[in-house]
Amino acid sequence: MLLSKSEGKEFLLMGNQAIARGALEAGVSVAAGYPGTPSSEIIENLASVAPEADLYVEWSVNEKVSLEVAAAGSFAGLRSLCVMKQNGVNVASDFLLHLVLSGTRGGMVLIPCDDPGAISSVNEGESRYFARLMEIPLLEPGDFQEAKDMTKWAFSLSEELGNVVMLRSVTRLSHASGNVKLGALNRTKPAAKFNFSGNLLDAKTGPVITAPVPFRHTQQQGKLKKAAALFETSPFNRYEGPENPELLIITSSACYLYSREALRVLDTEKRAGILKLGTTWPLPPELLKKHLAAAEKVLIVEEVLPFLEENIKILAMENIDSIGKIKFFGKNDGTLPSVNEMNPDYVIKAISSILNIPYTGMPEEYEKSGQILSFTKSPNRELTFCPGCPHRASYWSINRALTLNGENGFVCGDIGCYTMAILPAGFGTIKTAHSMGSGTGVASGFGKLKSFGMNQPVVSVCGDSTFFHAGMPALVNAVHNNSDMLLVILDNSGTAMTGFQPHPGIPSGAAGNELPSVDIEGICRSIGAKTFTADPFNVAETEKKVLEIIENERGPRVLIMRQGCALSPEKKGKKKYNVSVDSNICKGSDCGCNRLCTRVFRCPGLVCDSATGKAMIDEIICAGCGVCADICPSGAIKRSEVAL
Amino acid sequence: MQVKGSKEIRAGVLDSGLCTGCGACVSLCPYYATHKGKTVMHFSCTREEGRCHAHCPRAEVNLDRISSQFFGEEYSASPFGSYINIHSARAGDKAGVSGFQTAGTVSALIKFALEKGYIDSAVLTKNEEGFGVPFVIDNPGDVEKASGSRYSVSPTVKGVNDAINSGRRKIGAVGTPCQTLAVAQLRGNPLKQEGFTDPIALSIGLFCTWALTASDFTALMKSMGDISTIRKLDIPPPPASSMEIETGNKSYIIPLDDIRKLIPEACSYCHDMTAEFADISVGVYEGKTKQNIAIIRTERGRKIFEEAVNAGYLETEKIPEEAIAPLAAASMNKKKKGLGKLAGANLINSETGHTVIRMKKSTLESILKGGASCC
Repeated sequence: MLLSKSEGKEFLLMGNQAIARGALEAGVSVAAGYPGTPSSEIIENLASVAPEADLYVEWSVNEKVSLEVAAAGSFAGLRSLCVMKQNGVNVASDFLLHLVLSGTRGGMVLIPCDDPGAISSVNEGESRYFARLMEIPLLEPGDFQEAKDMTKWAFSLSEELGNVVMLRSVTRLSHASGNVKLGALNRTKPAAKFNFSGNLLDAKTGPVITAPVPFRHTQQQGKLKKAAALFETSPFNRYEGPENPELLIITSSACYLYSREALRVLDTEKRAGILKLGTTWPLPPELLKKHLAAAEKVLIVEEVLPFLEENIKILAMENIDSIGKIKFFGKNDGTLPSVNEMNPDYVIKAISSILNIPYTGMPEEYEKSGQILSFTKSPNRELTFCPGCPHRASYWSINRALTLNGENGFVCGDIGCYTMAILPAGFGTIKTAHSMGSGTGVASGFGKLKSFGMNQPVVSVCGDSTFFHAGMPALVNAVHNNSDMLLVILDNSGTAMTGFQPHPGIPSGAAGNELPSVDIEGICRSIGAKTFTADPFNVAETEKKVLEIIENERGPRVLIMRQGCALSPEKKGKKKYNVSVDSNICKGSDCGCNRLCTRVFRCPGLVCDSATGKAMIDEIICAGCGVCADICPSGAIKRSEVAL
Repeated sequence: MQVKGSKEIRAGVLDSGLCTGCGACVSLCPYYATHKGKTVMHFSCTREEGRCHAHCPRAEVNLDRISSQFFGEEYSASPFGSYINIHSARAGDKAGVSGFQTAGTVSALIKFALEKGYIDSAVLTKNEEGFGVPFVIDNPGDVEKASGSRYSVSPTVKGVNDAINSGRRKIGAVGTPCQTLAVAQLRGNPLKQEGFTDPIALSIGLFCTWALTASDFTALMKSMGDISTIRKLDIPPPPASSMEIETGNKSYIIPLDDIRKLIPEACSYCHDMTAEFADISVGVYEGKTKQNIAIIRTERGRKIFEEAVNAGYLETEKIPEEAIAPLAAASMNKKKKGLGKLAGANLINSETGHTVIRMKKSTLESILKGGASCC
């Protein structure tokens, strides 16, 4: 489908596939990104056709570098794409601030996929504000067709303006699917050349730099004005509803679909209209003025923060003489929440209260009893590590070593599957968790507080991909400042959480091509940290090693716990051990172990048989790592090596 | 006696600075562990009743009940608790034990009991990288591995649990008063387990005024050089007030006041100097470095002791009343201080919350009212 020539044919596409197709239709040549839900499938889809379509696709070490790699493509005259999740824009923003000033050449599109409600995130950051902050155009597709079409358009818009264009998706667009009519696909392989010998001030032929800043900044703002003018007639901005609606709803992105549904449920399509915006920064002023002038009440529906709302209110205030007084409803007045995902229910309630339409949704009693039932009766399905996950074993050892040491040591974590150690899945071992690589930076700081009387052992954890992404500078900092801390690198050989994308430590690239790998252990040693290794599946030895390193070593130390992810292609579906419980030995609920394996260790492959109160192996999901055989204090769990 | 679970142990003992590190809760389940003299708890356990609580010498210890169980009488306000008689003792020629820092009475007794089959194994404490760790012996020849005073807190009762877990049922246990108290509780089968038989065939208690926080003490030792070269570690009896250490070719004298700083808070609650619930209690005979004082408390203790004397493993002398007066005074003083501190913290006969000791109110009052008769 991605390379289908069937123009006009309709396919059911996931939002991220539609974006990838749009980029291909636009003739993209370079695509780079860092994995992150809900964005990863865009690069993955492009990587899957890279050789065939003459594309260069890479998973970069982090978002900032991915933006730089994509920018190089643009500087050389190629169309380039850069993809990341919402918080990636924060990482890339330093380069972005300079890129928008120097401008771009070949069409360049930055696609952040936001995650309202933090379904797969530890934040619900808004990338839209970056568009305003960086003074670049922002596009927000409202459905799957638009996801493809707007992506394609974004490249030519970028070339017309000479600057990078941001296209923002959200989880419900990226990860849901809808019908998409394909456009024409005419792939060619353009030649790349970087021209730099022209005049210093010539955007097309001179060096690509930000100086002189006021000159470039003026140019940049001119591009934004041009964009606003172009947006006035964009087909991606459209109004549906009566000529003089009692209520004007202004919305964008997936919220457009929620708004339509709300009007239909309340049967108010004749009373209220929807102005659906696809270009949300800069706002097209004439279009807005026309519609605002026709309404007295305006509801702005968006997620998460009141971005549109604030910008529209400024525009309305500046033009109050021509459009008159308007009563605004949105997030600032509390009509809609400014946290979490938007949904049709919120919009229905807002409209029914504004227009005084009696609406009884779910009876309150029913909702309440549903909440109680789901809390008390549904099985406990908290987030946990997969069966056979090395992180469970790693945290078992780290937690026990810190307990044995008895000096209130703690672990600073950050982002990856291993973040779940804030939960019982990892025995609550992580005590701080923030952005990529931050555990090690925070630990580097904690490790300098001895002079203030803090004697607690300081440990950080960091995944292999995260180590390359942002952990390395933190380790350099710890070494240089001689911080007394231990970095445990949980090396499961891949960017596991986002779907096992390769990273610099893996000898292959995004398209499965062979690449040189970078050795984590060698890096740590050459940085100057005392570096150790352990196999987390050997829990007794790993626990001992952690304890020894905490108690007998000082200064910046690294322990690499190396064991592949249970879902990695090398391991998936292959059991190392057959594991079973000897029910003659297991005393289950009657045991002094108090169900250690199923209550504390909690591998989903271990279940407590409610009839006998004893442990059992769920052979369907057991990954055969065999660690539980070492956990059982009675030796009731047996493992035997599977013959290869 | 109200048996509770690990939740109470964690809150009432471990987190409250009451844990003596005796090791009574270790090796019973996967949750408790000991490291460098400190008892810790891994994860959490939800059992409402556990042996950890039942055996702990710092949780719901009913002195009257234990005393009745072993001696047929309630706990009294006397300096040494219940006993049959008191002797001066030291290892005899037949014991063939050497290299002991003091008089070697305990080693000789254990060796004799093992050789004659009164016990089939013994739990002793040895030094490992500066920390006291329990070990189980079955062979009389291994007694000497444990010789010498050590001073730092050690989880000896863990060794008793290990010995029981390995199927041994005629165990000789040697421990300090808190360890002996834990062993005494264990012997009473507080959880009424079916088929229980008392696995302890001989309990020898060691006099103890205090112990030292193991990690701090080891750090102090290490600051003096290679701890594996320590040849002597001793606190001579008063009037000396220092610890003597000989290591490599150097010797050190550390003022006792500096040593006392390393005494854990938990020891300040202790009310037992002479290990009152042992079969035989043994300790320093003040002023006589080559003699011990031995308090014979039970019939089986008396029998083994007398036979050891008859067999030449022990040499014994009658001890004059005035020779035990200083010990009696010190012991009474410790009772008064320890129980006083516990009572002050509402940890005796408490109706709500954690209780360390249960005992007859009149006995407690009589101890607390008694004048300090020494130092």
